Amino acid sequence: MADNQLGRTVDALSRRKFIATAGATGALAVAGCTENEASDEDGLSGEVVIKGSSTVFPVSDAMAERFMEEHEAVNVTVDSTGSGGGFENHFCPGDSDINGASRPIKSEEESLCAENDVTPMEMQIAGDALTMAVSPENDWVDCMSFDEMAQIWQEDGAETWADVNSEWPDEEFTLYGPDTTSGTFDWFTENVVGEGGNHRTDYEPTEDDNIIVEGLQDDPYAIGYFGYAYYEENSDRVKALDVKESEGDDCGEPSLQAAQAGEYPMARPLFIYPSEEAVQREEVYEFMKFFLENSSAEWIADEIGYVPSSQEDADANLSALEDAAGN
Amino acid sequence: MTTADESSGSWFGADGKVSQRRGLLFKLSCLGATLLALLLVLVFLLYVANDAIQPFTADSGWLATVAATVVLPALALAAYYYRDSEPSGSVAYISFGLPIAATLLAGGVVIVFRHVISPHGWLALAIAGVVAAAVLEAHARTRTGSALERLAVVVVVPWFALIGIPGFSVDYTVTTPFLGQELFDLTMSVPTLIPSLRGLIVSLPILPTAALSLLASFTLPIAAVAAMHVRRVRESDRAGVIGGVATFVAAGAGMVAAPIAGVAPETGVIAATVIGMPVGLYVESVQRRGEGMAGLAFPVVIGGGAVLAAVLVNALGFAGPELWLDWQFLNSSHSTTPADAGIYPALVGSVMMLTVVAISAFPIGVGAAVYLEEYAPNQGRPGQLVEFLEINIANLAGVPSVVYGVLGLALFVRTAGLQSGIVVVGGFTIALLILPIIIVSAQEAIRGVPDSLRQASYGMGATKWQTVRSVVLPRAMPGILTGTILALGRAIGETAPLLMVGVAAVVRIPPNSFFGLFSAMPRQIYSWSRLIATDFRYGVLAAGVLTLLIVMLMMNASAIVLRNKYQRNS
Repeated sequence: MADNQLGRTVDALSRRKFIATAGATGALAVAGCTENEASDEDGLSGEVVIKGSSTVFPVSDAMAERFMEEHEAVNVTVDSTGSGGGFENHFCPGDSDINGASRPIKSEEESLCAENDVTPMEMQIAGDALTMAVSPENDWVDCMSFDEMAQIWQEDGAETWADVNSEWPDEEFTLYGPDTTSGTFDWFTENVVGEGGNHRTDYEPTEDDNIIVEGLQDDPYAIGYFGYAYYEENSDRVKALDVKESEGDDCGEPSLQAAQAGEYPMARPLFIYPSEEAVQREEVYEFMKFFLENSSAEWIADEIGYVPSSQEDADANLSALEDAAGN
Repeated sequence: MTTADESSGSWFGADGKVSQRRGLLFKLSCLGATLLALLLVLVFLLYVANDAIQPFTADSGWLATVAATVVLPALALAAYYYRDSEPSGSVAYISFGLPIAATLLAGGVVIVFRHVISPHGWLALAIAGVVAAAVLEAHARTRTGSALERLAVVVVVPWFALIGIPGFSVDYTVTTPFLGQELFDLTMSVPTLIPSLRGLIVSLPILPTAALSLLASFTLPIAAVAAMHVRRVRESDRAGVIGGVATFVAAGAGMVAAPIAGVAPETGVIAATVIGMPVGLYVESVQRRGEGMAGLAFPVVIGGGAVLAAVLVNALGFAGPELWLDWQFLNSSHSTTPADAGIYPALVGSVMMLTVVAISAFPIGVGAAVYLEEYAPNQGRPGQLVEFLEINIANLAGVPSVVYGVLGLALFVRTAGLQSGIVVVGGFTIALLILPIIIVSAQEAIRGVPDSLRQASYGMGATKWQTVRSVVLPRAMPGILTGTILALGRAIGETAPLLMVGVAAVVRIPPNSFFGLFSAMPRQIYSWSRLIATDFRYGVLAAGVLTLLIVMLMMNASAIVLRNKYQRNS
């Protein structure tokens, strides 16, 4: 009986604690599934997941913010994973609805998407003026040709400024550029470095363009490239170079107007890729419609520092969207 | 005179032959290391705080007013406590810190009731829990029979009270392993078979308002705890009743007063309960001890000074500092305009993620630690295997967090098929990360229980299970809890695993379930650090870092309080 007595009193004490703990644990674990999703007046709710290029991120983020002011119950989440990272890890496996890209989709990415029954739709929604920049202390160069840039950035290329042009100082340059997963890197490799050579790997690669700006600011012999929006924000900290496609051309100053008018050689298109499957969902369709209707708006240039798409492009994208959604 | 030098007649070493210089040098270099470490951290913290609060953007008139009304009286009072009345000093310290800590805690509770469990859900849970406990108690009184029946009842009753048999649906394609050929589709769905008591209560057509539900199911238990505490320390039933009723009345007053202050009634109930109860109990304890009563003036002086400063500054038209960390920041979501950006969804996301982490990692971690310390063989070959396992668990605690991110992605997203970037995936991944830390710290705590206690328990005829449950675990629990809270403090700051499992850079709506998309504070801070506008990278980011640090500090402080309290008790 003594045993029982011990067991009983101990039981009575700890049982309540046990029940309380077990109850709280179980209920908390289950409670989360029971809440209902809210929806606003027009009944639109759900999730839109955007991944992809860090260059397109500011546009998508601004679009998401404006869209959610009108549709409070639609959760549009925006992430910057790099164009390639977004296609490979999120969009093609079907985890995201829209992928931003600062270069067109590659064929191996298309086949990866096809394996998972994801059909990307290409839409050009803005433009950027890729900017080659140096330290403000650099006073020997104001304009560069594609050929000179290729010499600097290709594999086994020049090591010092003097290697490119004998009038320039005989100092090694420090190179800052975007990461290899970035669409900016791909665009630059394909269009400027050219088919002749690969982009060199012995540079400081970073996903964060702010680091490039800081690097350029600190080192008079440094050179790097990034999107125009970063230059606009930091125009007092770095010096942007004019560029020309070949020796005989005029130098073009990086600016949104020049990029829009086609006078700046390093102007490049920016894309988003919604999947045809996701567009069937009403919230994704409505968001895409909002995005495309606003893609030609002036605030894209004023607030984000990108070139808005032309009205014709926007209309063409909208009709492609209508076709895909089956309306 | 053996130690004296014969020739000179003086004591050995008196002429400086034994050098103390090395020892002194060592002491100084240790001091230098300490100062350097403190300085580095302090400089960083001051730097961040300066960016987040920007005290020098305020008018000099504003600074002077605040100095005259708040800082000077506080300093004067502190000097008085220091010189004349030491017990008052510690009372002043605690009575000033306690309301602040309680307010932060109340904020956390408000978030929980707004996003994790609704007041009605909590009410239903509380009633169902009480009913289950009553049934169990009744069963224990009426039937003293078999242990197996008892075990079945203990499992089944809470299960039906809280969970019931929910409906479920299956949509799964069965494939051959490795080759992946589709064999057949398994699709079925079952409606709810037996609803739980909790579910029944929630679905009632008439429920009390949210605030009343909280008053009944949240304040009432806390008031009961307060009453029991007062009754015990005062050794008077009447005082206990007064304590309990006072807590309850304060919460009721909070409910009534909240709409006047412009907040929801349930917020008023929570704030009055969570702030009022500890502050009231503390004031009661100071008054009962009758020592250091003067210290209670400290928070009153500072609070009064702050109100006075606010009135004066308003009247004289001085502009305050351009705060980044303000109410608007805590209460809104990310925006492309730095001044409108806030951390609220990420704060909620962090709280929900930590809930998942705690619920999943604590039982597994403690269970593993109990097995390894109490049950696992410690001799022969199996003993060597256990030792090998223990060493590897300790090693796992040092694996870089990004590796756990990849593991979480592979396990929960790719294999289990959960959506990436949702609360449970983030929570489970971080739980994996801190599991080894919890196991190791729980093992230490269990090892700290003296063997004599176990032997005494066996000597009284208790079984192993009774000993572990009633002797070892209660004794080890403070240590286990401290370790767990410190591990959670690490969990709240992890970023890399969240990046790997696809937690998005910008989430503007706080998750409304554990299966919703979320962002966490460190993830949000990381994404601010990469934005173009400098205001994000300095002001907004600093405010986010400060918020995260304050939350973490609160968690660590509660761990320390918990440890001190139990150390005093035992």
